[in-house]
Order: sequence, then C-alpha cells, then structure tokens
Amino acid sequence: MMWLRRLRFSLLCLGAFGLFLFAGSAIESIHAQTPTVVRYWLWLDDPTEPMFGDLVKEFNAANPGIRVESQLVPLSEYHDKLVTALAGGAGPDAGRFKDWWLGEFVKMNALESQNASIAKWPGRGDVIENLWNTGKITEAGPVYMMPHQSITFYLYYRKDWFAQAGLKPPATFDEFLAAAKKLTDPAKTQYGFGLRGGAGGQDQWLAFMVAGGARLVDAQGRVIINNPEAVKVNQWYIDLFREHKVAPPSAPTDAYAQVLGAFQAGNTAMFAHHVGSSVLVTQKLGAANVGVLPVPAADPAKPATMVTMAGNVVFSASKSKEAAFKFVSWLSETNAMDKWSGSRQGQLPALKSVARLPRYTENTFFKVSLDGANYAIAWPPLPGVGYVSAQAWQANMQRALLGQISSKDMLDEIAKALQR
Amino acid sequence: MRSPKRSSARAVGTSGRGRTWLLPLFLLSPALVLLLGIVAYPIGRAIWLSFHRVEILQPDLTQNIGFDHYRGLLADPVIRIALGNSVVWVVGVVIFQFLGGLIGALILNRRFPGRAAVRGLALIPWATPSVLVALMWTWMLDGNYGLINDLLVRTGILSRFQPWLAQPWSALPAVMLADVWQGIPFFAVMLLAALQAIPEDLSEAARIDGASTWRVFLHVTLPLLVPTILITTMLRMIWTANYMDLIMIMTGGGPGYSSLTVPLHAYYIAYKRLDFGYGATIAIVQVIALAAAIVLYLRQLRRNEVMVQ
Repeated sequence: MMWLRRLRFSLLCLGAFGLFLFAGSAIESIHAQTPTVVRYWLWLDDPTEPMFGDLVKEFNAANPGIRVESQLVPLSEYHDKLVTALAGGAGPDAGRFKDWWLGEFVKMNALESQNASIAKWPGRGDVIENLWNTGKITEAGPVYMMPHQSITFYLYYRKDWFAQAGLKPPATFDEFLAAAKKLTDPAKTQYGFGLRGGAGGQDQWLAFMVAGGARLVDAQGRVIINNPEAVKVNQWYIDLFREHKVAPPSAPTDAYAQVLGAFQAGNTAMFAHHVGSSVLVTQKLGAANVGVLPVPAADPAKPATMVTMAGNVVFSASKSKEAAFKFVSWLSETNAMDKWSGSRQGQLPALKSVARLPRYTENTFFKVSLDGANYAIAWPPLPGVGYVSAQAWQANMQRALLGQISSKDMLDEIAKALQR
Repeated sequence: MRSPKRSSARAVGTSGRGRTWLLPLFLLSPALVLLLGIVAYPIGRAIWLSFHRVEILQPDLTQNIGFDHYRGLLADPVIRIALGNSVVWVVGVVIFQFLGGLIGALILNRRFPGRAAVRGLALIPWATPSVLVALMWTWMLDGNYGLINDLLVRTGILSRFQPWLAQPWSALPAVMLADVWQGIPFFAVMLLAALQAIPEDLSEAARIDGASTWRVFLHVTLPLLVPTILITTMLRMIWTANYMDLIMIMTGGGPGYSSLTVPLHAYYIAYKRLDFGYGATIAIVQVIALAAAIVLYLRQLRRNEVMVQ
C-alpha cells in the first residue's frame, strides 16, 4: 500500500519536526539561565604560566552571572588577528591591549569609551593618577583603556666587568659610550652594548631617544621626531653601531631572544630592557653580577625613558559590554593586580596599593622601574604607531644602521608613517 | 579527441539534451561549490580590493579609486627591491635544490647497506615544520655564538664570527641556504621515483656498446628524467615564490629591505599597515608575474618534450 507508507512517512517527519521544535524551546529556556559570556583575548610573555587561568577561575566562581572565555594569541600576531577578527564580526568582547594601537583603533571606532563605567567603579581612586593618560587619545578625552601592567625601560649592566675595568655605572650618554668602548673586544666576541635593531627594538630606541632630549610629538600633538635635535640623538644611537662599533655586528637584526641571549652568554656588557627579564638574567648570571640602572641621559638633569602600557579595552562591537567591563576592572583591582605583577609575567602594577607592597619596593628591578615611571614618556596615540612598531621602524632603523639612509631620512620615514 | 567524448555523453542521457549536462553538473556541484568558494571568490575579492581604498573596520569609508594602487606601485621603491629579491630567491633556491636533489637521488638509487633507512631519514628536512627550520637555522647562523660561525672559525676558514643574518649581502643567501636544505628531499624523492622507472636494460645496452658511466648518465638517464625535472621544478618555482615563512622568521625581510620578497611585502602592507587594497595589488602583480614565468616555462617544456622524443 503505497499511500499508507507515504502517510506513515509524513507522520514520522511531522513527529521529528515537533521533537526538534520542543528541543529548540528547551535549549532556549536553558539558555535564558546561562551566564553572560565574555570572550577575552590576551597574550602572555610566558604562555605556560598558570596565573591567568587561575584568575579566570576565581572570577567565574565569584561572578556566577558571567562566564569569561579566554583565548591566548601571541603578541607578534595579536594586532593582525584582532583587526581581522573584528572586521569579520568575530572579535572578542574585551581584550588585553597595547597603547601602541590606541590611535589606530579609536580612529576606526572599534573601542568603547569606559568613562561612564569607571565613574561607577569603586577601584578608580587606587589607580596611579598619571597612568589614566596612557589610555586616552587627548588629555581631556575619554579613557579607552584601563591601565593594568606597564613597563619602563632601564639598563642592565655586568657589575663584575665594570668592577674589573674600574668603571662606574654610567649616568650620562658620554659615560655610557666610554664604558661601552672600554668593554668592547671583538676578538673575544665581547661588546659594550646589546643594541636591538630587529623586531621590537623600537621601545629601547625610544628610551634612548627621549633620554637624549628628542620627542615624538610636541605639546600640541604635532610630530617632531624628525627635527634637528632628534636627528642628532638618532645619529648618536646609530653611531654606537656604525662609528664606535660597541654593539655586536649582528645588532641590525637582533631581536629580544638575541639581545637577551648575548647578555646571558657574556657577549655584551649592557642591554636595555624591562623588569620582565630580570628573573631570566639573574638566574643565568647570578644576582651579584647583574646591576640595573636608569637609562643614561644626554643631560642628567633631564632624565627620561620609555613607558608602555598593556591595559584592557572593551570593543564597541561587543554585545555584553557591562559584563566585559566588570571583568577588566576586576583585573585592575588589588588582588588580581598583585597576582599578575607577582607572576613570571611580572610587570609594574598600575595601582598605588600594590606598588606599595614590600615585594615591589624591596626588589631593585621593580624599584628602578617604578622610579623611571615618574619621568617616562609613552608612544603618542597616533594612528600610525601600530605600523611603526610592527614594521616601519625596523626596516628604516636597519637601513640607517647599514648606512643605506641617513639619520634624517630614517626619522622622516617614521614621521610619515606616524601621521598616516 | 573530442568526438568520442561527446558521443559517450549523449549515450548517458536518456531523454533530451537538457538532462545530459544536468546530471554531471549535479554530481560535480559539491566540488564546484568548494572551488568557487575557496578559489574563485578570494581571487575575485583580491581583484576588487586592489581597486579600492579599504578601511578594514569601517566598510562605509571604502572607496573606489580605480587604478591608483597600480599607479602607486610604479612610485614604490620598495616593490622594485622586493621583485629583485624574489627573482634571486626563486632562481637560486630552485637551482640548488634541484642540483642537491639530483645528486641525492643518484646516491639513493645505488645499492648500499642501510639504504632503506637512509632513504627514510633523508626526508626529515622536508617533514620538519618551517617554523622549526627557521628557528634552528637562526640559532645555527647566530652572529655571537652560532654553530656555523664556530665551525668556520675553528677550521680557520674565518678569522672572526660573521653576523650572517644582519649583513645585507649575506642575509638573503643565508635564508636561501635554510630553504635549500629543507627542499632538497622533495627533489630527491621525485627524481628517485623517476630513476627507478628507467628500465635497467637501456643503460646496460649503452654500457655494452662501450659508453662510460658519465655518457650513460648524460645520454640515457638524463633525457628520461627531463619530464619529471621540468614538472617538479615548475611546482617548486610556484611554491618557492609564494613561500615566506622562513624569511619572515629569520630576518623579517631585513636588514632594511635586503631579504624582503614580494609576498612578504604584500603581507606587511596588508596586515601591519592595514592597507588591504595596496597589499592585494602587490599580490596580484605577483600572480601575473608568476603566471607569465610559468607560461614561458611550459612553452619551453613542450619544446623540450618534442626534442626528447
């Protein structure tokens, strides 16, 4: 009986459809009780560190209405992945963020102003006051990035080598150069200073530029990195490699792994970095042999160094902004901040209550860093900073180090890229 | 060639012409959809991008700018350097990989104890992920305590360590060395397969006629290898031209632009400068240049095949 079979089949289909609808509505009702999901992206210098996973568990347990789902992305890919994910409508709700990218993302309307949420946040009074500026485009404008972990650059030096050579730790550019020359001996593959011309070297470069008196922008926000004074400081920096040869011949392409490795292996007497490498350096060379200094200045009366902030942002495309802010502001509260700063990712805390704790005030590396924070200068929030730090600086610095272009040409290119 | 196919197609169809193409089309549709989705659409999109100024997160600001990006190419000094580097990279890498692969295949084709194990082990460079290869060679070539420098200084070839990856003249060759190392097994395996397909009696006959080993290789073995050589070199040229992992990790295109190739330049422009329009333009220029080179090459290949036969 053909028709009977057809009828049976139709009924079966109808039944299945009904079941499907029922299941759908059941899922819907479960869904109504599920917590708001906050997708959070971050990078970690040491991805094997359990600290962040523990923080998320702690937050989720304390806030049953919110569930944070995090995704780790390496810093070198972070910017690209974030842009493409946001463009494709699959970006996170909130994320760790560098001040380098602020200008670019604000220009694209991708970041949410956090002013209203901050006004209601009880922890706001604990944030070190001038650090709010690292999350703004203009002084009077809204805060887009919650201050979290910052780094200021300082100088590591080999105490044992300095003592042997009868040198005192350098405070000025001249003393720095003299010490570097004295500690350079190519026959022993030993050099005075681990100059970083490769990936990521722009922070070290900027620390020396501002310590030499150059500035990226003036008070009105105009780019002045190619003015005669900056050209002179930049020439001094280039000459460390070209003229005085106090940096290893590999300096033009040396990145973090190479400058750190060379210092650890006893190939360099000094190198500039931040508190994040202090454990690695002292473990290898012994705490007695490693000293730390503020970045020397051209004029010791006007010290300066570079500060860069890794904060937290909420994206405008997010559908759960309130929950996202709840999480990122929680990260900037005393308990979570101390856990983060005290971990292997350890960077400078943005809270007064944490910076006062003995484990930071009694640690030389944190102390020199926190002192530097008083006069440190950040990358300006210009839309081109992302490109400069990702590629333009590196290509042009290397060309200048190789003598293919002049100091002025290099800075003209960087000024152009900053103003894109 | 054509008529038998057509008649067989007609035989499949039962009623009328409409159905003869419908069924094959239906059966092919999953593959067609895939091809359209993952090949045709991205290509079309790249062409579209190359005519637009794109603000990646603000699609409303995207504007059609005609041939502006293509005109910009003419004024871009970096693209000229990158094109030159790309030619050196492709030609150099493919030639040395081929020569290394040929020698390897000839050795592996001989009988010697432990041959099977050696054949397997020889594939390791090919099977190693590019990131690992890049990191390994970066440390071996390191200017301060690299293994290669150490060996060269100990044997007295060099008097002092050389920063291989930081000198403009040596950066690209150093990366090429790593790529040659990685790519030799591919040629070796392909050529070995071709060698084994050559009937033994051909070279035996030549030897009986009094030909030396070299003449046997030149007049018997090599001509029979030519079709394989031409195909594998063509594939390798395409892959090498598009391959940028090693360069990106080992030098980032530096120092300066000394090892910057076209695909890496396109990547930096698109993803670091967020200028997807101009990045796509550079990629399209690369496709056109590569297609032209391949067409020339295929023509040459056909001519050679005629010659061999």
